[in-house]
Amino acid sequence: MTSILPRRALAAIAMLACGAVAALPGTSMAQGTIRIGAPLPITGPLSPEAKKLQNGMNLWVETANKAGGIKVGAKKMKVEIVYVDYQSNTPRAVQATEKLITQDKVDFLFSPFGSGAAKAASSVSEKYEMPTIAATASSEQVYDQGYKYLFGVYTPNQTLTEPLADLVKKQAGGVQRVAILARNDLFPLAIAQEMEKSAKKRGMNVLYFEKYAIGTLDHASALSQIKAVAPHWIFATGYINDLILIKKQMSDLGIEAPVVTMVAGPAYKEFVSALGKSAENVTSAAWWHPAVRYTSKDVFGSTENFNKMFHAKYGTEPDYGEASSAVSGVVLQLAIEAAGTLDKKAVRDALAKMNTMTFFGPIKFGPTGQVVSLDPPVFQVQKGRQVVILPAGIKQGDLQLGVK
Amino acid sequence: MRKSALLAAVLFLLVALVPLAGDAYWLRLGTTMLMYGVIAMAWNFIGGLAGYPSFASAAFFGLGAYAGAVAQKLGVPMGLAWTLAGALSLAFAALLGLALLRLRGHYFAIASLVVAEVLRELVNSATDLTGGGMGLNLPVPHDATVASQSEFFFYAMLALAAITFAAMLWATHSKLGFGLRCIQQNESAADMLGVNTTLYKVAAFMLSGAFAGAAGAIYASWVHYIEPPDVFDVLYSVKAIVMVLLGGAGSVFGPLFGAAIFLSLEELVWRNYLQVHTGVLGLMIVLLVLFLPKGVFSLRLPWRKGKP
Repeated sequence: MTSILPRRALAAIAMLACGAVAALPGTSMAQGTIRIGAPLPITGPLSPEAKKLQNGMNLWVETANKAGGIKVGAKKMKVEIVYVDYQSNTPRAVQATEKLITQDKVDFLFSPFGSGAAKAASSVSEKYEMPTIAATASSEQVYDQGYKYLFGVYTPNQTLTEPLADLVKKQAGGVQRVAILARNDLFPLAIAQEMEKSAKKRGMNVLYFEKYAIGTLDHASALSQIKAVAPHWIFATGYINDLILIKKQMSDLGIEAPVVTMVAGPAYKEFVSALGKSAENVTSAAWWHPAVRYTSKDVFGSTENFNKMFHAKYGTEPDYGEASSAVSGVVLQLAIEAAGTLDKKAVRDALAKMNTMTFFGPIKFGPTGQVVSLDPPVFQVQKGRQVVILPAGIKQGDLQLGVK
Repeated sequence: MRKSALLAAVLFLLVALVPLAGDAYWLRLGTTMLMYGVIAMAWNFIGGLAGYPSFASAAFFGLGAYAGAVAQKLGVPMGLAWTLAGALSLAFAALLGLALLRLRGHYFAIASLVVAEVLRELVNSATDLTGGGMGLNLPVPHDATVASQSEFFFYAMLALAAITFAAMLWATHSKLGFGLRCIQQNESAADMLGVNTTLYKVAAFMLSGAFAGAAGAIYASWVHYIEPPDVFDVLYSVKAIVMVLLGGAGSVFGPLFGAAIFLSLEELVWRNYLQVHTGVLGLMIVLLVLFLPKGVFSLRLPWRKGKP
């Protein structure tokens, strides 16, 4: 039996069907809902980060809607986030931003992940005068373009290294020899370079500065070189898996130093559980830590309450990425409520004028749009838990020397 | 050839009218489409004509992007930086071709695939020059409005696409194209008949490199920020091949149509499926390549049956 339709025509029909399904409207536009666009790297190498940002944003949306929504003048409006995947690819992040504004007609925007993509996308949102909150962009170069509609909740990178270097200088005067090992990646390398500056500024000698490639599985040769320069302070950057591996290999090679700092891994519980005793006395810094304690008038009420709600929803402690994405929503909500309207210019002005307390800490934006009011916490693993040692106002313990 | 040139001129003129539609988003899509078209046409020199399965598009594109960006960082004006980037990619392709084009089939494919990885690591470790993993920021012109900028880059990409098309048209109808087609059919026989196979292959590879590199340089200026994983993305190599296959390998208009179809599918699927778009796109491409092995031009609908 021969088929009625030739094979090629069949293929064409199948394609058309695929296309027709795809052409069905993907998002519904409910009346009286505030829509916020969020271009995120949902697929690709950065997808774990997107998951974290979504966790924070979804928790905020859920909490805000449960409380009736966002107060706009006299009425309360529900809020909805429109996610678009940009495949961990910066140009696509820019494209996604333009699509969210011109095609999905969102009311406000969250920036894509990281400094690079946030900077690239900000030129588009600025063009459309769209208030945009960057949850995860720390580099000052993101904010120095004279843009008026971009606001970021991370302080510059050096606010992580400067207080730490001060503390070490003050409490461990003998620390002179510094070794730095950095992951060759946007944030880890940038913060390592800040560390180098902070150390040199205080008269310390940076005897070793090397980068390792993303995905390195053996750090033995770099660590042997570090051991050879007998550093007092070892500063390693990377993400949690890199840092667990580096610390394990340090122990294997018998490398000891008065101070060992790792950014950004010790903030996670997994770091301590994977390393046990050898995680002891490792210091770190982050823009936020669940151990900080602030009481606020936002939807979460306090840091403690935020931690509790986060744990109830996801079963883990929030980290700084999850908290910063939630606070991005909080900041936007407070600005809309202060403006009493969805007018973009009014909300932008409310953001610029903002001086408020959130579960994340006090929020006040500088003239460039980057937050200036936060003191990023420095903490140390002591007896198997993370103890905040800076800033003085919320500290739970003192710096301990000696890492084995 | 004259008919193709005329048709192409009309086509490019029509595309040049896109900015009149006024929507910035369509302009962005148009620029991307032209860029894809250039990459696909560049691949067509070595892949379509000579039949060498090159995966080096990403290497040329990334090299061009970084060459253009670094040149601009050092103060070279934009247009000159693009030309320099194209020239550097051309020279790089010549050297690379002399080494790699001795290999055939799978061996050549694998060898060309790793070139992008090697370049990415080099760029990654040359932090002082390229910013390494932190990426490279290009100067943003402050005196131009964002709208005029997007138009400018659209026309720049359009001009490059027109030049690439002209080069491809010329190559297809010249002795070079004849030689390359001989190589595709039977390289040993072509060699025996007096075709200088090494010279022809390297020439095709150089053309491929120069245009992909120039596209990379324009791209870098367009997005103002590049980082190694973005521009040395192996997907540029794969997309180039898929686009040519969609449009029809070896044909003059194939790569351009392939780019247009590919971008339309990509956009349609991307904006409608949040999580699984890559999977859906892959499935559609598998279907297309399975059922239309010679590209959309082989599509014969029932009502066209019997007609030539």
